Amino acid sequence: MEFKDYYQTLGVSREATADEIKKAYRKLARKYHPDVSREANAEAQMKEVNEANEVLSDPEKRVAYDQLGRGYRPGQEFRPPPNWDAGFEFSGRGRAPGETADFSDFFAEMFGRMGGARGFSGGQRTQFQARGEDHHAKVLLDIEDAFSGATRQISLRAPKNDARGQVTLETRTLNVRVPQGVYAGQIIRLAGQGAPGSGGAQAGDLMLEVQFRPHPRFRAQARDLHLTLPIAPWEAALGAVVQVDLPQGAVNVRIPEGTQSGRQMRVRGKGIPGATPGDLLLDIQVVLPPADTAKAKELYETMARELAFDPRSLGRA
Amino acid sequence: MRDDEILTGSPMEDSWVTLEQLAAACSVEPAWLQRHIDDGLIPQAESVAGVWCFSSISIVRARRMSQLERDFDAVPELAALVADLLEELDELRARVGSVDPG
Repeated sequence: MEFKDYYQTLGVSREATADEIKKAYRKLARKYHPDVSREANAEAQMKEVNEANEVLSDPEKRVAYDQLGRGYRPGQEFRPPPNWDAGFEFSGRGRAPGETADFSDFFAEMFGRMGGARGFSGGQRTQFQARGEDHHAKVLLDIEDAFSGATRQISLRAPKNDARGQVTLETRTLNVRVPQGVYAGQIIRLAGQGAPGSGGAQAGDLMLEVQFRPHPRFRAQARDLHLTLPIAPWEAALGAVVQVDLPQGAVNVRIPEGTQSGRQMRVRGKGIPGATPGDLLLDIQVVLPPADTAKAKELYETMARELAFDPRSLGRA
Repeated sequence: MRDDEILTGSPMEDSWVTLEQLAAACSVEPAWLQRHIDDGLIPQAESVAGVWCFSSISIVRARRMSQLERDFDAVPELAALVADLLEELDELRARVGSVDPG
């Protein structure tokens, strides 16, 4: 396990005051905010910054880190001595343990036992009851899965105390059935699959946030399904019934005569299924056949000659 | 649990849970959540006889707001305003993604 220099991560000196640490953290939290940052690996960088701040902004953890990390260089092999935390009293404030589950092995080794933590003090366990923390993860699905439901394997890592009291990161794999009708951003709850509770209390839940892989044809917005529908000029001009292939079978859609490119048509209830199913939204795109044969050219020339049509006059007063 | 066991999840919208469970899902304290619901900063929360139903969007919103308040000492109304903007950004990004998947 490599030693992490949290001061270097936040870009502050070892003598930095609490205010300086807070200021440096906020600057980096803005720079790497996963929702808006354009920096490469913003999410991973934010995780590093959060981890460093979690330790340096907490006086108890900072003292322990300073004492234990004295003489270590970043990246150097690190192993804390047994029972190193016997002289410290951690109150377990700061982030919820569920939020620190993604932190590094180094953090888990040093402070992981705070994960069950509230209640551990200098290694002495006190009797109390507390519900286990909820864990959050993302599950990546195809849009087709929303129509049929899907089973996915999810791997999760979480700090755990072993029989000797050492903290290790445990990986567990779950087979999860995601029901039909889910949409992007929706949270799927697996009761009792979060962190175990303390003192006989119930376990936390596992919250899976649904995300869809990009699809070459479809885009989903909540339960509405968007699709660009290419049609021929004669279908647009004369009207037609065209077949649209969907994840679970095809539907026939009537194109009214005189339909222009860019028009949006709504087919109610044909989006992602659910108690209130979504709609199918078709963005019409009129596609011209290429004029690459004598016959095709002749047809276009006949239209040009015989149809008194000037598209630039449309919409003029 | 056996390795081949399949767990079935329920969408949050179909789950009725206690305020404490809801707060745990949002990684916030129950008092924080109750205060923000009372102040109208987290819409789409429904309560019947002490149990709650929350939309998935509201859970993400609560998590975002609590992080903004913690990281930047933002007042709740400012955190709610930023959450509004981020939700709009999510929607616009989803639309742009459909036009240009790259």
